[in-house]
Amino acid sequence: MTDKNKHINLDQLWAYLDGVLDPSQEEVIQSHLEGCPLCQAEYNRLEMLTSQLDTLPEVSLPKDLSSFVVARLKEERSLSPAITWTLVIEAIAAGAVIGVLIPAFQAAGWLPRLLEVKLALQAGANTFLAQLASSWLVWWAGLKLQASQLVTSFDPLENLPLGAFSPWILIGAAGGLVVLINVLLLGRQPLPNNNHKQLQV
Amino acid sequence: MAVAGEDALIMQVQTGDLDAYGEIVREYQTSVFNVCLRILGDVQEAEDLTQEAFLRAYRNISQYDPARPFGPWMRVLAANLCYNHLKKARLVRVPLEDEREILKDDSQRSPEILLELAQESHSLYRKIWQLPEIQRVALELRHFQGLSYQEMAEAMDLPLNTVRSHLYRARRKLAELLEEENDD
Repeated sequence: MTDKNKHINLDQLWAYLDGVLDPSQEEVIQSHLEGCPLCQAEYNRLEMLTSQLDTLPEVSLPKDLSSFVVARLKEERSLSPAITWTLVIEAIAAGAVIGVLIPAFQAAGWLPRLLEVKLALQAGANTFLAQLASSWLVWWAGLKLQASQLVTSFDPLENLPLGAFSPWILIGAAGGLVVLINVLLLGRQPLPNNNHKQLQV
Repeated sequence: MAVAGEDALIMQVQTGDLDAYGEIVREYQTSVFNVCLRILGDVQEAEDLTQEAFLRAYRNISQYDPARPFGPWMRVLAANLCYNHLKKARLVRVPLEDEREILKDDSQRSPEILLELAQESHSLYRKIWQLPEIQRVALELRHFQGLSYQEMAEAMDLPLNTVRSHLYRARRKLAELLEEENDD
């Protein structure tokens, strides 16, 4: 807005009215307004809108809200100590249960057995899921490969090679990798039968 | 209410005196209700949010700086609460991909509560409620609460230029609506 012949845009007029411009910008706008009836009229319009907003009367509140607010806060205050004590009692009870039950399990020899069962279940689940995933991937890759070959065989003019980066080969490779990881992990993990012995050591 | 009296009341409130807080609520409830009404455009919602604002103010009274006046702090808190309320309501009502602004039907926005006002003021309220919600919040914070652009950006948790843009659009739209009325 440095050019005196250019009209002031609305954004700048509002900024001027809001008093957020630096003194040099304010001076430029002020001098422009003095010599430009169009911008002066626009400025008057904005000023009138501001004035209308500033003098907009408030409406009366239909009811007194203070009694509700205070009653609600008093209720919260009375509930708060009750909740705190409940939490303290629950925490002590939980601590007592854990503190008594774990040594009891250990003394009875149940804890190692429980862990043994858990590890056996985990190992079984891992094996099942890994085999399921690898066989599915291999089956899927094979199916797609066959379908692809079938489709391309129908077009003698353009027998497209699958290529090194074909998605089917990648899927097959991923399946193979899963099988390999499966074998390596299971080879390293002790069998469920050995877990109990390890814990005892 | 004299400032000294208010200071004493606030100190009592900060020590947990709920009766003193009741007096504070009585003093500011009308101005806070008006903030909510201007932003929400619905009397019942405005009453609910006014109550909620006072409850939150009490729970967060430790964040209030007694060196500053209580009224503006309380009203900006209420405006913020209304803004967050509208944002939540908007998420439910408007699909994210739909960026069209909602302009509420003017005919639905004429609560009886406005009847006590002169026709001109009544009309201006209705024009404000025709603005999209976010523009109403921007207008409230700037014109009625006197916040700077920077303070508005912080209150609305939006970039400064975005807030300026909302305010600019709100004013332009409001001016257009008032002109349309004058032309009719």
